[in-house]
Amino acid sequence: MIKQLFKITFVLLATTQMFACSKSETITTPVVTVSTKVVTDLMADTVLGIAANGMPYSAGKYTFFSLENNTIVPSTDSATAKWDLAFMSTRILTNGGTSGPALGGAFIYTGLFDDLKIIPADSIFKTDNAPTYAITTGSGKGWYTYDQLTSLITPLAGRVLVIRTASGKYAKLEITSYYKGGVTLPVSASDIEKLTKQRYYSFRYTYQSNGSKVF
Amino acid sequence: MPKKSLILLFFITPQFIWGQVQFVKDTLFASGDSVVVTATRSERKLSNLTVPVTLINAQTIQQTGSIRLTDILKEQTGLTMTSGFGAGVQLQGLNPDYTIILINGEPLVGRTAGVLDLNRVSLGNIKKIEIVKGPSSSLYGSEAMAGVINIITDASNQTPLAASLRMGTYNTNDINVYNGLRSKSIFYQGFYNYYATDGYSIRPNSNNRITTPINRLSTTQQIKFTLNDRTSLLLNTRLTEETIKSNIAVSNGGVTINSNGNEHNTDANLSATMNYHFTPNLKTSFRSYLTNYISKQDLLTISGTPYNDLLNHLFKRIENQTDWAIRKNINGIFGLGAVWEGVKSSRYDSEKLRKENTIQYGFTQWEWTASDKFIIIGGLRFDKNATYASAWSPKLSMLYKLNASHKIRLSIGQGFKAPDFRQLYLDFTNAAAGNYSVFGSAQAQKVIGQLSSLGQIGSLYNNYYLLKALEPESSTGMHLSWEWTPISKTYISTQLFRNDITNLIEVQQVGTYVSGAQIFSYLNIGRAFTEGAELEFKQSLSNKLVLSGGYQYLITGDKDQIAKIKDGTVYTRNASNISTRLTMSDYVGLPNVSKHKAQLKINYSNEKGMFANFRIIYRSKWAVNNTNGNEVYDSGDDFAKSYYSLHSSIGKEYKNGMAIQMGVDNINNYIDAIHLPNLAGRTYFINLKYQLKYKTQK
Repeated sequence: MIKQLFKITFVLLATTQMFACSKSETITTPVVTVSTKVVTDLMADTVLGIAANGMPYSAGKYTFFSLENNTIVPSTDSATAKWDLAFMSTRILTNGGTSGPALGGAFIYTGLFDDLKIIPADSIFKTDNAPTYAITTGSGKGWYTYDQLTSLITPLAGRVLVIRTASGKYAKLEITSYYKGGVTLPVSASDIEKLTKQRYYSFRYTYQSNGSKVF
Repeated sequence: MPKKSLILLFFITPQFIWGQVQFVKDTLFASGDSVVVTATRSERKLSNLTVPVTLINAQTIQQTGSIRLTDILKEQTGLTMTSGFGAGVQLQGLNPDYTIILINGEPLVGRTAGVLDLNRVSLGNIKKIEIVKGPSSSLYGSEAMAGVINIITDASNQTPLAASLRMGTYNTNDINVYNGLRSKSIFYQGFYNYYATDGYSIRPNSNNRITTPINRLSTTQQIKFTLNDRTSLLLNTRLTEETIKSNIAVSNGGVTINSNGNEHNTDANLSATMNYHFTPNLKTSFRSYLTNYISKQDLLTISGTPYNDLLNHLFKRIENQTDWAIRKNINGIFGLGAVWEGVKSSRYDSEKLRKENTIQYGFTQWEWTASDKFIIIGGLRFDKNATYASAWSPKLSMLYKLNASHKIRLSIGQGFKAPDFRQLYLDFTNAAAGNYSVFGSAQAQKVIGQLSSLGQIGSLYNNYYLLKALEPESSTGMHLSWEWTPISKTYISTQLFRNDITNLIEVQQVGTYVSGAQIFSYLNIGRAFTEGAELEFKQSLSNKLVLSGGYQYLITGDKDQIAKIKDGTVYTRNASNISTRLTMSDYVGLPNVSKHKAQLKINYSNEKGMFANFRIIYRSKWAVNNTNGNEVYDSGDDFAKSYYSLHSSIGKEYKNGMAIQMGVDNINNYIDAIHLPNLAGRTYFINLKYQLKYKTQK
């Protein structure tokens, strides 16, 4: 082991030595086409209050988001190709099928975000066909689990949403939290806190602008 | 029902419970000459047993000030109390479902979600509690998978009249009256217990009581007739009635709905036993047993909607056991029995229809005392069931006495737990929480088929097609123990154990409604293990002081989950919420299981009847909720904190029969309202007792 480490260090030293000797213009730095962006607390139809009958109420509206521009898109543009994803409570739409006019679709990849370097060729992108969606809804079936006992929604670990955007490009996305502040509330949080601090998405994503399936 | 009582008169409790041993003096060390009946279904000296047994005697129960079964079990090595559906007991890491609870050898019924609420059992008239660790289905059939807890009431009739009054914090009052009669041929004892508590709320600023107000009345009556030298007859009844004021809060999507009302539970047991000795070497006993547990909940939600829940469990059994000492060193036992069982529940398709099951069984056990040093016992039982697959349960155990101070015991056995009525027949849709449904496996396909023809089924999962007749859950357990008594003042015992469990019945989603609501049923899918070590010791520090303690180290795991973790297909989240691959070092095993549990006790008693004790109970953290987005319990999940609680009690018994005792429980006032609802804060009690004694008692 130590011997091997020593060897590696030696090789590394040798190569830096080599580069140091060569002319600087011969080094081609790889073109960075992707970068990972982090979004925190994207509000997705957050609870506005508790009605007299004890049920929470909200506006019932989607929040539209463009992965390409990393911005929220006004809901007046919901019928355009300007948005890639739309969020309302636990439901996430892609801009295609019954949800929108564009090329959007998605599937859920099981594995690690960083390990997904290339979208496998045999992957099948689904499109929204209400009431079923490309990003499957329901506890344990798509991107989250809902615990009846604790009333908490937890994003499933090791799930990557692989998105085909409105313009037919590709992105990978990992949801990290559904609660305000980017951290799932503790089990002991009050019921009211669990209601009012939910529907805040935190996620990270990588958008590939060149149209390839390589991240 | 005169016919029934007549029949009952003929069948009865094997003499192992009602044997000739009138009174066993409490011995300082468990290695003493106490007699145990549960391990072999026959009277055996503790020192000659081949399987690990814990014996708790009446004196220990009284001196700790225990009044409910839970109070004393939580102080035992290897036992942990659980909460949720009443107070259950976890034995060597296995859930309450897997330990059979017997009173005088007869099983208690009326489990809710697999848990028997042990608060039902009053300790006022108990002579001793025997705990057998390890699968014991070879003698007791279903449920004896982790072990057996047998509560033996005092039929020895030491007193014509005794009464005690105990008062404590939260208006917790416990009154016991005990009366007895005896003549040459009749022994009678009656016991009456009244228990009431206001309950308590240990959540600050909450009106919601963690333990709700309870009124409980229970009585047992035992009569033993000695008809002649060869024949004796025993009748035993037990009745417990309790009313619990309920204030239940049901949460749905964060909205809490409160319901108020009463829960009323009745637990009735009736047994009759006839013992007959053909010769000193051949005896037989017929026993019959009838028990009925009825639980009713009548609640009203704040909006006025009634919520009613009913469970009615009727259990009847007849059994014959014959003990034959073929030779001086070979003893055989043969048993045959039949069980009829029926449950009505509002959670089944119709609460008027009783779901039934019948079991016929036979068992045999052979004990060979090969020499002074070596005893070997083999046993086998077969249970034939009407509604699920049959089960064979073998067991082999042995004792080797190395010398006067060293003993080694080894036992290997199989245990099983039959699918319960809930797993077979549940038909429950939770209108209060998302309209999800759970259907028992016996009807799931039929019910879902009907729903499907009505166009209500959205999708069916692969699990639906895997539904079939449930098989019993089964375990193979191995226990190796070593007992060392270097000097008469020291006792040390260590034990290694391992249980491998297959066919675990788990709730699985089998489909969805058109609305998307989930549909669940039960499948035999899980594989798990528990393994660990136990250490127990007693050390006499002087003729008045005894130090004793115990420790359990426990490892558990779900074998399928472990396989997935090793495959690298289980994920977790790191501190910054990024998914990572879960490694085995972060895996914690089964939920609600603590790696470490320990207790230490110092006991003082003198010849003047004065006693005092101080106890510490420790339990390390345990996983309670999956909060980091995988289905595996790992270090990133939600844990209940480790804790310890201190208890003390002091008392004096006077020669005239008076006794007084005072105590404090949970002196350090440890509270964890969410995970330990049964642990009240610091509580105090005072207990007064008066006992008439027979003048000539040897």
